[in-house]
Amino acid sequence: MLSRVANLVYWMARQLERAENTARIVDVNAQLVLDLQSRQAADDPKSWEPLVFVAGNDEKFVELYGEAVTERNVVEFMLFDRRNPSSVISCVSHARENARCVRDLLAAEVWETLNTFYLKLKDDDFARYAQLGSSEYLNRVKAQIQLFYGVAESMLPRGDEWWFFELGRYLERADNTSRILDVKYYMLLPDIASVGTALDMIQWGSVLRSCSAFEAFRRSRRGQLNLERVVDFLLRDELFPRSILYSVAEVEQALLRIVGHSEHLVDNPASRLAADLRSDLESIATSEIITDGLHEYLDTIQARIDGIHSAVQDTFIDYPTSRAKILV
Amino acid sequence: MSDLFQSYDHGRFYDEMFAGPGQPRPHYQRLFDRFGQMDGISNLLERQRTADQTFINRGVTFTVYSDTAGTEKIFPFDLIPRIVPAHEWAVLEAGLTQRMQALNLFLTDIYGEQRILREGVVPTEMVETSKHFRREMMGFAMPRGLFVHINGTDLVRDVDGTYRVLEDNLRTPSGVSYVLENRQVMKRVFPNMLRDYRVRPVETYANDLLNLLMHLAPSHVPEPTVVLLTPGVYNSAYFEHSFLARQMGIEIVEGSDLVVENDRVYMRRSEGLAPVHVIYRRLDDDFLDPTVFRPDSLLGVPGLVNAYRKGNVALCNPIGTGVADDKAMYYYVPRMIKFYLDQDPILPNVETYLSSDPKDLAYILEHLPKLVAKSVNEAGGYGMLVGPHSTQAQIAEFREKIIANPRNFIAQPTLGISRCPSVCGSAIEGRHIDLRPYILNGETIKIMPGGLTRVALRKGSLVVNSSQGGGSKDTWVLADEYQSQSQTQGGPEKLIV
Repeated sequence: MLSRVANLVYWMARQLERAENTARIVDVNAQLVLDLQSRQAADDPKSWEPLVFVAGNDEKFVELYGEAVTERNVVEFMLFDRRNPSSVISCVSHARENARCVRDLLAAEVWETLNTFYLKLKDDDFARYAQLGSSEYLNRVKAQIQLFYGVAESMLPRGDEWWFFELGRYLERADNTSRILDVKYYMLLPDIASVGTALDMIQWGSVLRSCSAFEAFRRSRRGQLNLERVVDFLLRDELFPRSILYSVAEVEQALLRIVGHSEHLVDNPASRLAADLRSDLESIATSEIITDGLHEYLDTIQARIDGIHSAVQDTFIDYPTSRAKILV
Repeated sequence: MSDLFQSYDHGRFYDEMFAGPGQPRPHYQRLFDRFGQMDGISNLLERQRTADQTFINRGVTFTVYSDTAGTEKIFPFDLIPRIVPAHEWAVLEAGLTQRMQALNLFLTDIYGEQRILREGVVPTEMVETSKHFRREMMGFAMPRGLFVHINGTDLVRDVDGTYRVLEDNLRTPSGVSYVLENRQVMKRVFPNMLRDYRVRPVETYANDLLNLLMHLAPSHVPEPTVVLLTPGVYNSAYFEHSFLARQMGIEIVEGSDLVVENDRVYMRRSEGLAPVHVIYRRLDDDFLDPTVFRPDSLLGVPGLVNAYRKGNVALCNPIGTGVADDKAMYYYVPRMIKFYLDQDPILPNVETYLSSDPKDLAYILEHLPKLVAKSVNEAGGYGMLVGPHSTQAQIAEFREKIIANPRNFIAQPTLGISRCPSVCGSAIEGRHIDLRPYILNGETIKIMPGGLTRVALRKGSLVVNSSQGGGSKDTWVLADEYQSQSQTQGGPEKLIV
């Protein structure tokens, strides 16, 4: 397909996946704060600060809101503020613009689902969020995005448009799951003493729930909730569709389908990087990661995902004309 | 007897449906009878709602330039068709074919020998001062000798019912998608009447257009790739671009999708560069190639003109056709027909005054309140003055513009153009209409039977453009001569062309 169109589809999927995960990150934090069961903790800037760092947006936040890291400011920033390019409203708005440009490619229902969602979302604000409660409000947002995926899945032909959609969606998900794990890391940082306590287990339970992974974790028979087991599950589970390993494997598959009919692209940098990351995740021991520092490890994962993104752009989208293959 | 038309005001214009109060023309008799069987207007209004909803659901929309939000609107559609009897169409077809032949010969000549200038039939300065004359194309060997491929000629009928050419659109005429969509909707709303009338189909247009585009491809390419080049999704005609691309099964591309390497054009696909042989461009000359025309254009393709000149890619329409649809050049088309074909024009022009001619200029300035004055290079109803509908201040302002740049304007008498019954609110009233047939010039000249009938839905308005409150009607060209009782009673309708 046209590179420009492939890129529009790819970013549409990334933006929507990011919107969904931003909603999940806010959700898991709101629940963690509740679990702290202490008035001071809920108002403590430290309860909300991690989100801003984890999303990689701390500078933008300070620029817009100064040092006031309150629940209200963080929620405004992450859900409703169009000045933050990663807020839910920004992501959904960009995804809709992209969808509009490739409307011909999408069935009417696919476009309408996204358009209707955007039109509802654009008038929401913190008051609406507070009125419904974080959990209810964020569930509605997630459900709308899930609806879009469902409609897209049942309508889109499995040509390049579908595989660029999958590529964007799973690359973004791999990145975002690593960030959700990181929220917990930040929360625990000042309080290593609580490791292994009941509170700790409640918190890991929330992390799993925010990825809709609680039941799947239980069924995976990994036993009691603890740091190592939860990290291992979200990092390396082969079957759970939000784990990083699963997402990277899907990225690899999508790339395989995209290059499937082009012999000259079978060996390409994006596929190589995805395969390397997948095999590293398969072979690494979670206990070692934790010993060496989970946060640092997640940082390298995020950098490698970004490397795959750049390779995708260089290979399929922004390639220099001079070295491009001329198709016959 | 139909109640629907009981209070219909026939007016002082040529009415497409009625020869006189309560007297439908023969080819409208069947529609008149059919509407008479309806229970008043409510049945018709219900069908109108069905039609409107169908357009919304199908996404048949256009974008209004002045609206910063880029809001999509449906092009208003009127249910009462414009019916053209077979004998009228035969004359229109012959006239439009003749005109296309002459315009093609004119463009060939202008970018070649310039015989028509040397023999003084068209003044040289008319060509040289035309904004759309492209010196870059002088001496260019146009593929298949076709210097223009698509023309949308606007026709009106005057008070006598005579069809007259109002203007040619030789650059990127739009509107054909509405013709095709209007027919789809009419098939749902009036299936029986369409069948009984034996209306000629318009559905082969996309196929004919694709054949034309393939015909233009460089001859050494066995399976040419054709693309449609659009200015982008925010262009007011984007719906039409994507509609035609879908109908023809070709890729719709933006300028940034195309690159030129070694004077060959490619589109950037995710798997590499795919060669492109024919470009159906819906982008004006000025924007095509920033290295040759407007350097600030971000919509075009650097190097495209060189690839074109080398014969590696065909453009439809070719570069430089605009010199012949300049509204001042229009004045000379009847002379071109005489000069190149040695024939009299089958379809007359509207009487036209050139403000570049001192005698005409004096007349124009004196009679401006009665005239329609037009800028020669504008389209879409922009840059014009309808004298009788303008304030003194507007007229004075336009007068100054004409004096400042006489080459840039023409004027025509305010035409009492024909009206057709239209659904207006909850009544049927006469509204002014025009007709834009689409003429394809490929291996042969092909004209879609019918075309876009635009209707000025604002009461009394003469401006039919979509950007100025116009709508459209389906145009029914009948396959057979219409036989009816009234025809045998009243004698055959006089052939008015």
